[in-house]
Amino acid sequence: MTMDCESVRRTLGAWLDGEVSEKESREIRAHVEACPSCRAERSRLERLQFVLRAALEEGASKVTFESFWHGIERRISQGRVRHREFWDWLRPVILPRRLAWAIPVTVVCVLAVLFAEQFFFGLGWGPRSNVAAVESIDGHGFNLALLRESETKTTVIWLFEDEDEEEDEPAPEAASTDASL
Amino acid sequence: MNRLQKLPRLTLLCSLLLVGLSAPLGAAEKAPQGLHLRIGTILASNESEDFDPKLSRMKNQLEVIKYSSYRLIKEEVQKVQWRLNAVFEVPGGRSLVILPQEYRNQRLALKVRLLQGDKPLVDTTVRLRNRGYFLLGGPAHEGGVLILSIFAMTP
Repeated sequence: MTMDCESVRRTLGAWLDGEVSEKESREIRAHVEACPSCRAERSRLERLQFVLRAALEEGASKVTFESFWHGIERRISQGRVRHREFWDWLRPVILPRRLAWAIPVTVVCVLAVLFAEQFFFGLGWGPRSNVAAVESIDGHGFNLALLRESETKTTVIWLFEDEDEEEDEPAPEAASTDASL
Repeated sequence: MNRLQKLPRLTLLCSLLLVGLSAPLGAAEKAPQGLHLRIGTILASNESEDFDPKLSRMKNQLEVIKYSSYRLIKEEVQKVQWRLNAVFEVPGGRSLVILPQEYRNQRLALKVRLLQGDKPLVDTTVRLRNRGYFLLGGPAHEGGVLILSIFAMTP
């Protein structure tokens, strides 16, 4: 099917830009070569494209992009610094190798705290390692005295059997003065 | 090999190290098999100023009680089991019943009961270190008072 002049002129710009199909391009070319008015229109469009391209190239050569590129480079470099700062801050937290050591170290520290009392007191380093501690005491109606003497590391539980015997027997001085029930 | 690939190996190594370190700590808490109890019965009085040489290692401790004379009249050692009563005869028709309760934080807990015949005189629970001791005194005996030295030691 041959193309008429109107449809050829409508697609002539696209044909010059290479934007039509191969089949359509062959039909347009055949019509333009046979039709003087369309050939003239093609020449007019080609001249117009040439003039526009020349004008754009001349204008572009006068534009200075130096300050523009400097601005872009400055922004890129600033972006890199911020990025590095953020990464330096974040790296110890998320870097796998450091994380692998951090977890056991944390667990060991927690265990050390939990076992510290048993470990140190077991070695006799603790302040309460030597003196016996009385947790409960019941005298079943008798008087009792409890003495804890840190210098000699001595714990004494003293029983006063009854008042008559207490008068006969000399009550221990330390037990009667320092002891508490 | 990247770091991510190394992670499981490092974690495994650290875990093994951790288990190796914590094992002795756990073992330290395990209760020993039984314990030795040594009960010394001491007669304290003011009738003389004699000090029994067998008590020389306890001289400083006994001086806390302020009597002038101390004499060891009986000493008994028993190997006892945890949570089983051990009975020690005390002069004057008395007896001392000791129940070893537990071993925790390197310390022994003893439930101690002093009886006059069937009548309880004192009930107490004492926590003391391994190779530790305490004194229980006061019952009258032959013009003086009895002092019981209660010493506990794990094998």
